[in-house]
Amino acid sequence: MVYEFRYLAPRTAAELAAVLDGHKDDGKLLAGGTDLIPSIRNGIMKPKVVIDLKKYSGADRLSYGADGLSIGPAVTINDILRSKDARERYPVLCDCAHELASHQIRNRATVAGNVVNASPCSDMAPALLCLGAKAVIRSATGERVVPFSQFFAGVKKTVLAPGEFLSAIVVPAESAGARGRYLKLKRIAGHDLGIVGVLMTRRDGELRFAVSSAAPTPVLVDSVTVKDSADEAARKVLASVSPISDVRGTKEYREHMIGVYARRLFTEVK
Amino acid sequence: MRIQLTVNGLGYERDCAEHRTLLRFLREDLGLMGTKEGCGMGECGACTVIMNGRAVNSCMVLAVEADGATIRTIEGEADGPSLSDIQKAFERNHAVQCGFCTAGMVMSVKELLSEHPKPSADQVKEAIEGNFCRCTGYTQIVEAVLDLTGSPEKKGELEHV
Repeated sequence: MVYEFRYLAPRTAAELAAVLDGHKDDGKLLAGGTDLIPSIRNGIMKPKVVIDLKKYSGADRLSYGADGLSIGPAVTINDILRSKDARERYPVLCDCAHELASHQIRNRATVAGNVVNASPCSDMAPALLCLGAKAVIRSATGERVVPFSQFFAGVKKTVLAPGEFLSAIVVPAESAGARGRYLKLKRIAGHDLGIVGVLMTRRDGELRFAVSSAAPTPVLVDSVTVKDSADEAARKVLASVSPISDVRGTKEYREHMIGVYARRLFTEVK
Repeated sequence: MRIQLTVNGLGYERDCAEHRTLLRFLREDLGLMGTKEGCGMGECGACTVIMNGRAVNSCMVLAVEADGATIRTIEGEADGPSLSDIQKAFERNHAVQCGFCTAGMVMSVKELLSEHPKPSADQVKEAIEGNFCRCTGYTQIVEAVLDLTGSPEKKGELEHV
């Protein structure tokens, strides 16, 4: 790697919170490392201390209980795909997980890392938004719970303050059984960041859309109802996003494809 | 930091700089040069090794993260002059040209076969979606795996990779 940094691997969540508290300015959390390590290598991030959160007991816990599916910060994307609870109760979560990067990256990248990075093109955020998931945020001074609909604050920004970390993601039990599909526009399977991504879920007649790569943050759209036409649904989705032109696609192309995907999902997801 | 790990069945204990990647550690500290560095940022898969049973890009793992881990690399495949079954299948099906991707490719296939001994063509394609090959066009690689496993669907047509 390009420069020397320190590596710390706390053994308990409390110790992690304390270590993070002591390195608010110069520390970076390491989960799967699939973003952090290339960022360090490319000079985008220069932490003096890298704090590995995978080594504390319970960090990789993935369990289903009365509150729903609890996803620890070290749970990888492929852990989700291999989980019977996730596959049977939250197929939408698996649909999005399956679209994320390549097999090797899914073996390392974590669900928590994917949302904490707060990339507009996050593939897990649409599922967590549509399923009404909550972020359990911990620090040396306590714990707070924030729904993902209020978690993203801007491009690569979240509501996490220095010293805080995402200690669990809880997907509520009442969202179990939601049907849906994630359509991600990309050039090649396995590698590409999405040009746009649209997820629609349907549960008990309630429809939700979530869109990635189409605004500064992933966007949840919950105004579409079963009484709308496909065109009305697409209009409501488009009214909620603000895509830009960049190296991956133009604003016009993105808008067009979001409309295509919204209409297709509205018609096909029953 | 002092780290201990098992690579291809052999135990190693070494002092390792905390900012060193597993890839560099394997190549430069242990002298296992079979694993290659391509892009160095998780795109190309040339550096794929198996860590605790899972194929990972070793360029994105710190060696200190692998403390206590069990690693398999391409050097663990052949037994002396005798190639492994995966390697033989690659050779038989002309799945190697320049060879730079092969070490990573073989590791990805090895993880696939440990979980799915008879994969479909689609499963093979998904397993190697993180491995770039700029020579073969992938067809021979998929065919090599299907040839090895005797899977019924012995075609390597690639629609989307």
